[in-house]
Amino acid sequence: MADKSLRHGDAGIPPEAQAVLRKIETDKARYKRNVIISFIILAVLMVTTLIVLGLDFTFMLKWLPFILAGSGYTFLVASLAIALACILAVVGALGRLSRNPVFNSIATSYVSLIRGTPLLVQVYMWYLALPQIGKALEGYGFVGIQALFTLPALPAGILALGVCYGAYMTETVRAGIQSIKIGQTEAAKALGMTRTQTMKRVIFPQALRVIIPPVSNEFIAMIKDSSLVSLMGVWELSYRAIKVGRRHFQSLEMLIMVALIYWAMCILLQYFQEKIEKHMARGDRGI
Amino acid sequence: MMENKSQPMVKINNIHKVFGRDLHVLRGVDLEVHKGETVVILGASGSGKSTLLRCINFLEEPSAGTVEVDNIVIHAGEKDKDRENRILDIRKRTGMCFQAFNLFPHMNVLENIIEGPVTVLGHEKQKAIHYAEELLDWVGLMDKRDEYPSRLSGGQQQRVAIARSLAMKPKVMLFDEPTSALDPELVGEVVEVMERLAKEGMTIIAVTHELHFARDVADRVFIMDEGNWIEEGTPEKIFNNPDNVRTRQFLAHIL
Repeated sequence: MADKSLRHGDAGIPPEAQAVLRKIETDKARYKRNVIISFIILAVLMVTTLIVLGLDFTFMLKWLPFILAGSGYTFLVASLAIALACILAVVGALGRLSRNPVFNSIATSYVSLIRGTPLLVQVYMWYLALPQIGKALEGYGFVGIQALFTLPALPAGILALGVCYGAYMTETVRAGIQSIKIGQTEAAKALGMTRTQTMKRVIFPQALRVIIPPVSNEFIAMIKDSSLVSLMGVWELSYRAIKVGRRHFQSLEMLIMVALIYWAMCILLQYFQEKIEKHMARGDRGI
Repeated sequence: MMENKSQPMVKINNIHKVFGRDLHVLRGVDLEVHKGETVVILGASGSGKSTLLRCINFLEEPSAGTVEVDNIVIHAGEKDKDRENRILDIRKRTGMCFQAFNLFPHMNVLENIIEGPVTVLGHEKQKAIHYAEELLDWVGLMDKRDEYPSRLSGGQQQRVAIARSLAMKPKVMLFDEPTSALDPELVGEVVEVMERLAKEGMTIIAVTHELHFARDVADRVFIMDEGNWIEEGTPEKIFNNPDNVRTRQFLAHIL
């Protein structure tokens, strides 16, 4: 926007000012070019390192389809867990901000308990300990509950990840909601909006904008943490890579490959994050 | 008109407001404003003017007393299931303009204005847009219809905020220092809109330091100090011949 008003041909801009402007512009262009060159050098360095290490590329290529097939599980677990985490985060944040003592204390305990225990322990809780709870309940006369509480690996993994990330995201969403100035609530109230309308129409859309970068962070972390479901024997990405690598004594190839696949997934996610952020910023000055 | 005179649009009875335990901001304020009347409230900062205004639409909960707007009565501290609804009813009938405008930054100008009618009153969107455009024309901002608030000057934002309030077809307009956040050269355009509003018969209660508005447009001027009126009267009387020493001091200070 700004450079439009400073068009170089404009009459009245003295030549020395034009020289300064030109210099700023060439500096910018040079910086951009150098960044690209640096990236290319880095990539070349990485590839040469891989070649120098004597990686067996035909081996990698041979197993690529098998490993990639595991990304379906990774994708399934991560996306369902993300959906669950989003729902829990919104409900949790409303609970943390609620003046209802029961709702508030449940939400607060949820966040505290889940954030205070390792995800690894939680995964095993859902998978191994829950059936035992079911058994105990069955002893108290709840017939058939043990079968219900005995979860297959995938649902257990999705629940564990969703519930865990939901707790972290609860705090993100709460902070986002609280970052919106009180004047916005007052303006909505003054129009006669109910609490729900105020939240839905005024506060949440603005909070969403604040929380998208940290929530994307959580998503990226979650994609990688989804490898924890391999603990329960699900043949997802990293599980396959580690198995194949060990069996053929070529762990390096497999680990590098799976790392690159995760990386690609996260780059994709980051791309969408940037798109959404741009869309959200439409009310900003200068766009 | 005579009939309206006997029935005040806004009636405030013995309002007290205490913040925390002992910050006694309003001390038994009474106020009656009739239909079509323009009332200006003056007073030093911290005297309780804004708090009083905010008690009228319950952005601030009065600690004691009664508020009545357009025959809807609400007592402070009353325990009644219907109370929340009556508060919403009062808010639908009162428009409020804030010092900081408080437009919704994620909506463009038109969306800001139709938000109330569509979401709160359940009006049809097309109908709301039609009326919003009339209002935009009235405040002279038709060309900013699709802009976002961040692209507008303070004066333009406040005029949009006024249009947003008017879209609810309020019976009363409350102005809470609408020009205090504006650059001096932008004050005029907002005051001009307020003047036209007064001339068209809107009931207005304004907290403002715009003495020109108080003198030329107000029917009555109230002076507040330490939580209650120290003087009220026509602008001529207040500005030319005030009874109270404190009024004289205050006016001397801001004139």
